[in-house]
Amino acid sequence: MSNPILQAQNLHKRYEKVHAVQGISFDIQQGEIFSLLGPNGAGKTTTISMLSCLLSATEGDAVIDGHSVGTQADAVKRVIGVVPQEIALYPDLTARENLMFWGKMYSLSGAHLKQRVAETLEIAGLSDRANEKVETYSGGMKRRINIAVGLLHEPKVLFMDEPTVGIDPQSRRRILDTVLELNQRGLTVLYTTHYMEEAAELSRRIGIVDHGKLIALGTQDELTKLVGERDTVRIGISSVNDTDALLAALTKLSGVDHAALEEDELVLQATNANAHLSQIIGAIGAAGGQVKSIKVAEPNLEAVFLHLTGRALRD
Amino acid sequence: MKALQIAVKDTLTRFRDWKALAGMFAAPLIISAMIGLAFGDLGGDETPIENIPVVLVNLDAGELGQAYEDVLTSPDLADLIALETMQDPQAAKARIEAGELRAVIVIPAGFSETVIPDSQGNSGQANVELYTDPTAEISPVIVRSIVERITAAINSTLLAGQVAGQQAAGYAPLLGPAMGQLGAAIGAELQSGNLNLQESLLDLEVVSTGETGESFDPFAFFIPGMAVFFLMFSMFEGSRSILQEERHWTLQRLMSTPTPTWEIILGKMGGTFLTGLLQFTILMLSSTYLFGVSWGTSILGLAILVVLTVFAASGLGAMLTAFSRNENQAGVVGSAVSLVFGALGGSFFPTDGLTGIINIASKLTVNRWAMDGFLALTVNRGGLADIQTSILVLAVIGSVTFVLATLAFQKRFVK
Repeated sequence: MSNPILQAQNLHKRYEKVHAVQGISFDIQQGEIFSLLGPNGAGKTTTISMLSCLLSATEGDAVIDGHSVGTQADAVKRVIGVVPQEIALYPDLTARENLMFWGKMYSLSGAHLKQRVAETLEIAGLSDRANEKVETYSGGMKRRINIAVGLLHEPKVLFMDEPTVGIDPQSRRRILDTVLELNQRGLTVLYTTHYMEEAAELSRRIGIVDHGKLIALGTQDELTKLVGERDTVRIGISSVNDTDALLAALTKLSGVDHAALEEDELVLQATNANAHLSQIIGAIGAAGGQVKSIKVAEPNLEAVFLHLTGRALRD
Repeated sequence: MKALQIAVKDTLTRFRDWKALAGMFAAPLIISAMIGLAFGDLGGDETPIENIPVVLVNLDAGELGQAYEDVLTSPDLADLIALETMQDPQAAKARIEAGELRAVIVIPAGFSETVIPDSQGNSGQANVELYTDPTAEISPVIVRSIVERITAAINSTLLAGQVAGQQAAGYAPLLGPAMGQLGAAIGAELQSGNLNLQESLLDLEVVSTGETGESFDPFAFFIPGMAVFFLMFSMFEGSRSILQEERHWTLQRLMSTPTPTWEIILGKMGGTFLTGLLQFTILMLSSTYLFGVSWGTSILGLAILVVLTVFAASGLGAMLTAFSRNENQAGVVGSAVSLVFGALGGSFFPTDGLTGIINIASKLTVNRWAMDGFLALTVNRGGLADIQTSILVLAVIGSVTFVLATLAFQKRFVK
């Protein structure tokens, strides 16, 4: 852990009325997949935008491969690849034309450009449909070309901002496999997501972001230890008369630490939850509620987020 | 170099958009064809206009009525209008209704006496009456134009109060001998009145009305008019694409590449310019092929004028987009400016008759300077020297708007 390729130091971004990023600092080691996990609006995209030199930091700086984001933007842009959350492609152009164009923007040319276009099409699994307009592609295919553009110039660090938003499970699986494969080839990845499972699968180290702050940072084991042995219990309910009274009653139960309501679902954190389920169901019944489903999960990143913020990750 | 790549990409994208192509090519050609049909022969050859039957009823006993008569009967207009004189206005108007005449010009009795200032410098107002055949399209316009120009020349002379006989005589080759004599008469009259004489306001271009034997080609006017009008639309639409790229995040992705922001902006504006250049060139070629439009004899003048017209139009489009709050506002403003500029700037009708503030407003439009230039080349068969003012003004408009747009975009996108 002594070879950071990226060091973000006390990054701030202030707008007129919003302090979007409030002093975020983290390192990414060479060859690592580092995930920033947080709900929508937490400041993940703003952070990536500052690291990509799209936004200037109000305060703080980051160093990528030895270059300052604040003062050496051009050098930084040559070593990073950016995969934005949006499908940043030209729909009227074919996939090959898109890649050729973006390759030229990274100063690639001639035979090398053609070779890189062919290779990235291969990575995206779209070589056979390279000459079709992007507008005819499915959402998943567009996402894959969106990633391919970020790989054209063989960056040292790839920034991927929520690259699986809005696509089917099969395409999502393919993208996650691609990220793992690229990482095995030595690519360093900064991955942002609000899907706990993706961060858990891809990354050894994870930073949890909320309201513009990095509220936790560490390996998955280190993070889950924050919630101790507590399980997360999700209970689908209906017909509760007084939800505030119910939540108060639940938190008074032995072993229950947190109780929150998300639409029709109660989310609890409890030590040895299975042993306390009968008490919990009894409290719900006393409040006039009906239990429709129960799911108990062992300590995970979602529990960490709930533990740290009092809110579920999907909020 | 990357700016060129961006420009080529934008042009390619634009030319793959069928809706954009319809706006750029189909609309101007179809509308021009419809107007051409309304004006008669669509066979491609110029439509000859000659021997327009006109009656002059001159009831004025003074110099001015005689001046109208002299100009209208001058050899310069002999081929264009077939003039008769009558003394009964009602009888003359009846002949219009009978389809025998295209126009009747009536100079009322006492016209000169009323209009020319007396020794105290006092004068009155009188009107020349013009009656035209409502079923005819072109010839009434031509007759009206001739009468307006004679009237304008007289008005200018009277108002300026300065044309001495010698000066007016100097204009004789341009105005025709009748107008030269008129100038001398008015000059003498005014000088005897001890008026404060200033410089002449006689518009020398007025004289060109006297040229005869000209044939009228409606396409020579309407094709450039429509081409400039629709060019403005596509330049505004093209400029808006930078905001569309911002919405689709391709602009941000461009800015995350090692490409300077100024080069991205230059590439985007260059793409609009390149699109406009191709649009105008294709319209010129297709109108030549389809309608037999002659774009004049000065290839160099035409090339410079086209480049600078597109430069000014795309610069203006970029500037309005850069200062718009968002994409929608840019679209609304662009459409409104295109329509207003088209109406004021002479894309739909000649601007010769514009006066006062409307004329000033017209001169604030790209269309006006472009049309002045194109008509000088297509209708008047002029050369580079005849479009110097147009190309200078268009170059200034283009340069200023491009610089302002670049600065505004730079400020907008570098956060």
